[in-house]
Amino acid sequence: MIYLDNFRGTMVAPEAWEAMRIVATQQYAVPAPFTQCGTGSAELIEGAQSRLAAAIGASSSEVVFTGSGTEAVNIALLGSVRAQTVDKPEIVTSEIEYPATLAVYRALEKQGYIAHYIGVDGEGRYNLEQLASVLNEHTALVSLMGVNHMIGTIEPLAEAGGIVVEAARRIGRKIPFHIDFASALQTQRLDVDAVHADLVSFSSNKIHGPKGVGALYVRKGTKVVPISYGADSYSPLVPGTPNTMGIAGFDKALDLLYANFDADVEHMRKLRDRLADGIRERVPYILLNGPEGPGRAASHLCYSFLFIEGEAIMMFLDMDGIVVDTGSACAAATLKPNYILMAIGRNHEEAHGSIRFTLSRYTTEDDIDTTLSRLVPIVERLRAQSTIRPPAS
Amino acid sequence: MAIKYTEKVIEHFKNPHNIGVIEDADACATEGSPACGDEITVYLKIDKRTDRIVDVKFQSYGCASNIATGSIITDLAKGKTIDEAEAITWKQAADELGGLPPVKMHCSVLAVDGLRSAIRKYKKEVKGIDYDSTLTVDAITKELEHVLWPPVGVDIITLKMVKYIGIEGGAVKVEISGGSDEKYLEPTIDEIIEHVSKIKGVKSVSVDNV
Repeated sequence: MIYLDNFRGTMVAPEAWEAMRIVATQQYAVPAPFTQCGTGSAELIEGAQSRLAAAIGASSSEVVFTGSGTEAVNIALLGSVRAQTVDKPEIVTSEIEYPATLAVYRALEKQGYIAHYIGVDGEGRYNLEQLASVLNEHTALVSLMGVNHMIGTIEPLAEAGGIVVEAARRIGRKIPFHIDFASALQTQRLDVDAVHADLVSFSSNKIHGPKGVGALYVRKGTKVVPISYGADSYSPLVPGTPNTMGIAGFDKALDLLYANFDADVEHMRKLRDRLADGIRERVPYILLNGPEGPGRAASHLCYSFLFIEGEAIMMFLDMDGIVVDTGSACAAATLKPNYILMAIGRNHEEAHGSIRFTLSRYTTEDDIDTTLSRLVPIVERLRAQSTIRPPAS
Repeated sequence: MAIKYTEKVIEHFKNPHNIGVIEDADACATEGSPACGDEITVYLKIDKRTDRIVDVKFQSYGCASNIATGSIITDLAKGKTIDEAEAITWKQAADELGGLPPVKMHCSVLAVDGLRSAIRKYKKEVKGIDYDSTLTVDAITKELEHVLWPPVGVDIITLKMVKYIGIEGGAVKVEISGGSDEKYLEPTIDEIIEHVSKIKGVKSVSVDNV
């Protein structure tokens, strides 16, 4: 299988799997005081907290492990709005966020919160003027993302964070600023101070760690109330028995991520460009979704293939053992075209023909060349069958 | 639940029968649009003496299920008289394919609509039988039988989701009971508008979820 859908989820790195196996079969005791095995498990979590914290410029008590990236987002967003008493509260995000954030915002809207969804430019970059214009004394929360999962845009987080800080200064109180960093972690370094983040969500499953583990950074002094309750744990935000096996896997995945970070990112960028060049040279009538050049995450490529439909391309590639994703309405349970592609100004037809390729550090040159050799005839064949013809040249 | 295609769908998608264009077709019709995600054009060659379909081809801007249904529906139509072919239902097409995921049923409806439209065009242009429906509640109901509720793949008339159909001049008002699941509601309303708009005499369509 050639797996080019790494923004959806990744293979567990063999080393991470081994770390999990050891915890599952040997270090399986629940964290507890005094005993060797109990304190061993507690130290395992503390070690993982301190390593993630060190990587993002935080202190270890500011990091907790969650049941998923989605759970981290829920704790960050719900926990922080519930911790505040803001008159007629307003919450701010963008039109192109990950579904977890949008789902929480829609749920909060139903509870009476007023939500602002800021727009983006044609390459998916946040409209920062609009962000500045919607922040006011009612703002209870701002949530943005590091890299857009559909089109790979690297968002201007530091500028956005600066705008939030400036608005907070103006109104004389803190406005919690949450960043969803799940899609960004594989290719972007993060310094929580540089981007003025109060809350940051992570997902293990996007960086070759196991599914079912995430993490949340909570800046010291940021008020967040628990959204679920249970037995005492190392943090009231994540009650109940900690998933030490998952945490060990995530911890190892982070270790591997930063072991060769720059070289791995460069590897992905080279292969991504090889794929992009190959497509550009061999397939006419395509549109790049998201920015050209350094404004795009190194592992990411999304093209619209005009005159044909993306689910058909995806299915043909699937039959050849190549896994990609599409923004076509036909591949969505809702039968609606991808909302991010629509937000950057694509029409329905352009969104339907979109294919997203997302690489990992395990992707090889052979993977890319095989994908190209299969993709080109698939596009040609589907175009020959299509009701829509390229304009006569 | 896993949403997957049957082997037969994959086989027809991979190697579709009757794909292409008939240059000197006796009738051809296009249904759907790129904006709604799928578009299919059906070409017919008809023996005018016997009204039998001697050749049929199709083109598709569409997904795997649209291409597979185009393939099966043209197989089913070939050699049949135009009346027999017109009676082929989307359910027959879906059954022939071993079933389609409910969310994909509308793609088979589209392919059947393409075949029917081509046949009706032939009947109108060559045989002088005008099939254009006039604007009545019955005609609207018949059109709405082609609108499927995505989660179950059953039409909204059978599901008794249509609560009211009103006609005032050329303005059509449809009230449906679609619950609060917005993700299915919006595409279904779009499809209702698309289908009702096809009826002769319709100037506007409004759909309310009640």
